Amino acid sequence: MMKRDINSNGYIFLYSTILVVIVAVLLTAAALWLQPFQERNKENEKRTMILAAAGIADGEITFCDGELPVYLVNDSIFVIPMKGKGLWGPIWGYFAIAPDGSTLIGANFDHKSETPGLGGEITTEKFQRQFSGKQIRENGRLKPIEFDAITGATKTSDGVKKMIDNTLETYTPFFEKLKP
Amino acid sequence: MSNFKKLLIEPLRKSNPVTVLVLGICSCLAVTAQLKPALVMGASVTVVTALSNLIISLLRKGIPSRIRIIVQLVVVATLVILIDQFLKAFAYDVSKQLSVYVGLIITNCIIMGRLEAFALSHGPWESFLDGLGNGLGYSLILVIVAFFRELFGSGTLLGYQVIPQSFYEAGYQNNGLMILPPMALIIVGVIIWIQRTRNPEMQETNQK
Repeated sequence: MMKRDINSNGYIFLYSTILVVIVAVLLTAAALWLQPFQERNKENEKRTMILAAAGIADGEITFCDGELPVYLVNDSIFVIPMKGKGLWGPIWGYFAIAPDGSTLIGANFDHKSETPGLGGEITTEKFQRQFSGKQIRENGRLKPIEFDAITGATKTSDGVKKMIDNTLETYTPFFEKLKP
Repeated sequence: MSNFKKLLIEPLRKSNPVTVLVLGICSCLAVTAQLKPALVMGASVTVVTALSNLIISLLRKGIPSRIRIIVQLVVVATLVILIDQFLKAFAYDVSKQLSVYVGLIITNCIIMGRLEAFALSHGPWESFLDGLGNGLGYSLILVIVAFFRELFGSGTLLGYQVIPQSFYEAGYQNNGLMILPPMALIIVGVIIWIQRTRNPEMQETNQK
């Protein structure tokens, strides 16, 4: 092999180009190979969250794809997905609603990057429990939902409130249809 | 053989990256509230230090010294992304718990420190052992800190209840301070204190 000056500009360019190409190929290959496993984990997690919101250990989930996505658990409980903004990043969750279209069975929240111990508390059972049994409708109209915010996590709590209000607003036509 | 032992064992004791070199403290505070994430974090950092040391040592004669830090970063970042992807695929719940800290392994001072101080000037086998040793030294401290924090902070170990219910009925309470980051610093401090008391030669003398 020809002896080259390893500090010459040409060599540095060549070296970094080759290095970066190798790394890019490696990372792409790994990402493609692992993607199905990661997707499956995400699916599983979604399933667990829906079931946790509905308050049952295992059941059948059917996805009703109308104008608004709704999950039907065991043919009786409606679970609606929510998406919103926390303080640092996205938050999301599920509301499980009884067949009467008004009584909340349970709720489940998760977040991407809220502060552990403050905003992160929305994933705890203690926070989520308080939603069970609340009414979201009264006299055929939406009723603003009230819940205890988390001390020290005003922004995250506001985000949860906004997310709930927005989602319920959007789902009004769906509840109208359910009205007995 | 003695060289082998020295490279692997010394970082666990008298040249421990956390208690003696005081590197990698940041992640030590963040992931030690429970034992399980601490174990996974320790294992991940060990894999990254060992492999990056090995790779950099293999490349060391070809790396242009003007861009060596960038090359080191690229190698470390690649390994960290691979580990992050693997955790997401095969240990999803742990990867969620560790969240950003896996990505932050890239900035773990121990790794760059070992690359600069050791791998660039030593052979691949020695560098691999040095990386392995330093990773294990870091893991050791992480596990000790996490053990105490989870035991006294939550009364559990690896998620299993260890402190019996009768203790709680008798008025025992979990120590909330243990869960908070400052306690990790205090425990690391105590470990350093014990280590230096037992090895007087490690104590610095005040220079006037």
